[in-house]
Amino acid sequence: MTDGLTTRAEHAGRVTLRGIRKTFGSFEALRGIDLDIEPVEFFALLGPSGSGKTTTLRVLAGLEIPDEGVMTLDGVDVTHAQPGARDVAMVFQNYALYPHMTLEANIAFPLKMDGVPKSEIPGLVREAAARVKIDHLLHRRPGQLSGGQQQRCALARAIVRKPRLFLLDEPLSNLDAQLRLETRVELKKLQRSLDVTTVYVTHDQEEAMTVADRMAIFLDGDIAQVGTPGEVFNRPRSMDVAAFIGSPPMNLIPGRLEGAEVTIGDYRFTLPRPPDHPPGAVVVGVRPAHISLGSSGLPAALYLSENLGESMLLNLSFGEQIIKVRLPEVRRFADNERLHLVPDPSYVHLFDPQTRLRLE
Amino acid sequence: MTGARYRGAGKSVRQTILLVVASALLLVWVFPLIWAVVVSLKSETEVLAYPPRIFFEPTLENYRDALFGGVSILPSLGTSFIVSSVTTLLTIVIAVPAAYAFARLRLRGKKALGFYTLATQMVPPVGLVIPYFLILNKVGWLDSYQGMIIVYLTFSLPFAIWLMVSYMEDIPREMEEAAFLDKASRFQTLWHVILPQVRGGIAVTVIFVFLNAWNEFLFAVQLGGNTVRPVTVAMYNFVSVEQTLWAKLSAAALIAMVPMIAIGIAAQRQIVKGLTVGAVKGGGRQ
Repeated sequence: MTDGLTTRAEHAGRVTLRGIRKTFGSFEALRGIDLDIEPVEFFALLGPSGSGKTTTLRVLAGLEIPDEGVMTLDGVDVTHAQPGARDVAMVFQNYALYPHMTLEANIAFPLKMDGVPKSEIPGLVREAAARVKIDHLLHRRPGQLSGGQQQRCALARAIVRKPRLFLLDEPLSNLDAQLRLETRVELKKLQRSLDVTTVYVTHDQEEAMTVADRMAIFLDGDIAQVGTPGEVFNRPRSMDVAAFIGSPPMNLIPGRLEGAEVTIGDYRFTLPRPPDHPPGAVVVGVRPAHISLGSSGLPAALYLSENLGESMLLNLSFGEQIIKVRLPEVRRFADNERLHLVPDPSYVHLFDPQTRLRLE
Repeated sequence: MTGARYRGAGKSVRQTILLVVASALLLVWVFPLIWAVVVSLKSETEVLAYPPRIFFEPTLENYRDALFGGVSILPSLGTSFIVSSVTTLLTIVIAVPAAYAFARLRLRGKKALGFYTLATQMVPPVGLVIPYFLILNKVGWLDSYQGMIIVYLTFSLPFAIWLMVSYMEDIPREMEEAAFLDKASRFQTLWHVILPQVRGGIAVTVIFVFLNAWNEFLFAVQLGGNTVRPVTVAMYNFVSVEQTLWAKLSAAALIAMVPMIAIGIAAQRQIVKGLTVGAVKGGGRQ
């Protein structure tokens, strides 16, 4: 009897990485990362290129063996296990479909290699293909398909085997913008219905924010923060995360803290929940949407305004720095107009300029 | 509209020029072949007639003599076939995994080994005839199939490995990694994923190796003899001190070409297939 693609209680898919280090020549790709991924979670690895996220995914897949550190899968040490022995499936950025095989043969390949009885293969292939809506294309070859269809075939090949861990390496990056938005939603629904632990690599923060249950922010071969999209966005752990997350990211302005009072230049405001921190220099972080214009506030000159249709993005020069402000409505401004910026004290983040960490 | 017509006219002029040049080149290449065909259909006396006659009574006598006459080349065709096919088979069986290893595995000294492989191709064959003769003589393999095949392998293997490496390197690494994740062993990956994609390359290699072995004369005449007497050597029966039987020699040469043409046609389909597979390689990569 074939069990459906949904029932897979025997597979948990809990992953831990401890002190994973990996160098390529003199380049340190991973500087000793720790990570816990819970069963059935949709976990995103987000970071700029070269930050170590793809290397981490390849370590999870067994395609790279770390120089140091331990990886466990459901409590078993798999640090040195071969890719095929881990029961993980992966969708590659360029899909890596076998060009000489039909879609049917592509999707059946992992079953064949896994020793699934021949009589069960066609049914499983059709079921997986139907899930990603390519069951009418099974006789075609990858070269006869559009990019989106190839991507679906790669998904079907990955899910057909009911892996313990499902790895996706920038799966949407080769699709056009419209298709990317649609596929993003479908991917999330597919993951929910499959109940498979999924690790998703992307450099697109919007993508990570929308699909992931939790995410890890990679910066320079280290994990800068792990949390839900909300946590990462609302409580960035460091200035580096704050400067990376958000589009455009948070403004970071030098200031001073004294008790509950924050001073930027000559402008002062009081925090509703001041951090427990001795008086001194701080970096004030405030998102463009949390600054409004007022009659008094931080004096700044309009440098450039961008009309975004429903909203407006102002670039203002404050000393040497450019501060970005997002206005909820479109207005007209004169060139170089002097404006007064009022940060919302409830949404102000403070960072230590030395440690670059968040002050609580 | 007139512009389009002018362009059309320009195109057809260009095509005509191209056709004339191509025909001229083809003629230069095909002429000896045509000459051989014509000679093979003449009688020996007619071959020597001066000036050459354009009209003559064609005869298949020479073909019959070459195949079934006193100095038939038929056994030699068999010998050539055995030597060439065993050489080709062994070359492919050894060169394909070797090329895969060169293309994929992280081996110490891979570069040096690659250069060495290619360097063996730079040695002039004449310089090797005497050493090979002495070696084969010492191990008692002169005029033997195994001796001849091993000598041929020393030439065909480096060439085949070098050729196959370039085909293997063209296959995206991810395709192999996908196969590993799909629980395929390295051998299964080579068999199911890599080999079908380098079919065209294998076909090209087969043709080259077979062709070289089939056409080889220098080593065959020195290291062979009575037991191993490939067709290239056997044809020399028609050349003697007193006379050269040009018509029979031509007929024999043309007969010897037939298997090559057959293999070429058979392999062509594979080459084209290999090329079309290559065209979609890498899927949606941009």
